[in-house]
Amino acid sequence: MTATRVEAERGEGLAARALRIVLTERVVLLAVLLVVVVVWFRVLGAGGYLVAPYDVGYLGNALESMVPFALLALAELFVIVSGRGGIDLSVGAIVSLAGMVFGFMVGVWGWPLLPAIAGCIAVGGLLGAVNGALVAHLRFPPLIATLATYYAYSSLALISNANGPISTPPVVALHSLTSNVDLPLLPPVPLHVFTILLPCAVLAWVVMSRSTYGRSLYAVGTNDIAAGYATQPVTRTRFTAFVLSGLLSGVVALVTVAQFASARPDAGIVGNGMALPAITVAVLGGVAIQGGIGRVGGVLVAALLVTWLNAGMLLAFPEGAEGSRYQLLALGLVLVLSALLNTLALRRYGRLS
Amino acid sequence: MTAPTTAPTAATPARRGLRVRAIEGQELALIGVTGLLWVVLSLATDTFLSAGNITNILFSVAPIALVGIGMTAVIVTAGIDVSVGSQAAVVMVVVALLVRDAGLAFLPAVAVAIGTGLVLGAVNGLIVAYGGIHPIIVTFGTLNIYRFVALQIFGSEQVAGVPDTLAVIGGGMPGRLLGVPTAWWLTLVLAAGMWCYMRFWATGRHLYAIGGDAFAARLAGVRVRRRQISAYMLTGACVGLAGCVLIGSGGLVQQNVGTGLELQVIAAVVIGGTSIIGGRGTVLGTLLGALLVGTISSAVTLLSWPTEVTQLFIGAFILVAVGVDLLRERRRSAR
Repeated sequence: MTATRVEAERGEGLAARALRIVLTERVVLLAVLLVVVVVWFRVLGAGGYLVAPYDVGYLGNALESMVPFALLALAELFVIVSGRGGIDLSVGAIVSLAGMVFGFMVGVWGWPLLPAIAGCIAVGGLLGAVNGALVAHLRFPPLIATLATYYAYSSLALISNANGPISTPPVVALHSLTSNVDLPLLPPVPLHVFTILLPCAVLAWVVMSRSTYGRSLYAVGTNDIAAGYATQPVTRTRFTAFVLSGLLSGVVALVTVAQFASARPDAGIVGNGMALPAITVAVLGGVAIQGGIGRVGGVLVAALLVTWLNAGMLLAFPEGAEGSRYQLLALGLVLVLSALLNTLALRRYGRLS
Repeated sequence: MTAPTTAPTAATPARRGLRVRAIEGQELALIGVTGLLWVVLSLATDTFLSAGNITNILFSVAPIALVGIGMTAVIVTAGIDVSVGSQAAVVMVVVALLVRDAGLAFLPAVAVAIGTGLVLGAVNGLIVAYGGIHPIIVTFGTLNIYRFVALQIFGSEQVAGVPDTLAVIGGGMPGRLLGVPTAWWLTLVLAAGMWCYMRFWATGRHLYAIGGDAFAARLAGVRVRRRQISAYMLTGACVGLAGCVLIGSGGLVQQNVGTGLELQVIAAVVIGGTSIIGGRGTVLGTLLGALLVGTISSAVTLLSWPTEVTQLFIGAFILVAVGVDLLRERRRSAR
């Protein structure tokens, strides 16, 4: 099988080779699309079709909205790669609930910042552990378990402060965590891109690609029975994936509280919630819903692509809600098309990076 | 293909020592729990058992139960449809505008609603059947796309002042038949039809076969793709009817209409004992599940607890229902 594939790859022409790389190496495809999107909006901007310049400064600012979705997409990466229909619908609800707890710790109980941050992330991990226990130990289907906890967590978040936000002065002061920083040679970029997104992304990459746990996770996601025979701790690996997802959601809770300068009980569940875009970004980034396939790099580039595409559409459709409307269309189309592409690549080449 | 078969067990997995019964264990348990809740609530509050409140529960449950009929078929084939909320938005804005601006009569309006639903369902079904993509990804995608379509038709305004053409199946006084909401009669008739179809018709049994093992079903001669598409189209048609019921109860269609419907419906289906991995479940269970959800939210209102508590209970009931089912499944396979 492998021998014939190598033979085939040796014999193919340049065009076929480029097609194969674009279809199987998701990062390459996304990078191409990213360039296309940016160039396209630059051209539109030069032609006067945009209400504000789509320049480097604007793109830097747009990164602010990328942080939550990139982090939640990484959370979905862990869970979806763990296999057996792994999915986490409750990430948005965890963001809401952990954010409310964070709001109480900082704004009502007057905790110092560092213990409160640790507490917020720990609450996220705890809520993720509930999901993990249901799925890994009690064998609930992930979709059902996280649907139920989505209901439960969001209900608790709403009840916790009688449906109201917490925006006492200590919470408002948190907004400085997300202020822009001026960099030499670069446009101003929101601070939490560096303090939160980058460290988390590097950690996620280390866990996925450079740790025994990561190898175990891919093995379990590809075939948990085979992984069990290979003495991998299947249950614990899957459990940990949900805990990691919860921890990342806790980090996102922190970010959203700081961004809004207020702990809002509906932060992660308003409208379609945060889980849906996160799953979309993960799938776009090459994570296969069957499990066992997906990389940190692909997810990050996908998050960047969606962020800059959305930012561009807000400029192209300035009138009221029109921009966000077209964002819905783009999100849906991109999700279905990228999943189709995954299927196509798998059928044609038998693999996907 | 559509002739009734006299061998209802043809496609069921062998259940040792069990004949196919009209009511299964999970359904009995649900009837018990709901009944117990009703007794407790009618003792704890003096308004619960009033005719008005019962009618309210029944009516509020009708759209969820209606969509649940189709959703049961989809989930039995090991699929899922999370786009029903957005489908409802499209159906409702189309029908509301036609009724208001073109003066559509009752029957044409219902026909348009069902037709629109069928088209939306067919798109889902075709992508699922031919695209080789997991249904949850497909319908997450169409959830966004249909919402876009609906918002585009809304054109930044809600649709107000819709005439009461559809009130016959709505929530008001015209929508009653023998004191019970017409919408609920409609639900019962459809559910009964679907129950018979999924139990006694060959193609209905094929839905279970696909959910059990699609590959084996195909080898056994089941037209897997056709059945999948038909299940999603049925869901769309049910959404169309549910949309009519919702328009019939008020003259206003807002832009956020239908958001969250999918989770309520899936909750009702799952509480009703339908297995999310496919191959098992009945419409009767879904009906009972929807009734339980309606009872809970009514109870929370009557006991004047914060309405958000309802979601907590729904979450807990999902876990209990699925947990009990998992236990029974484990015992069944251990035997």
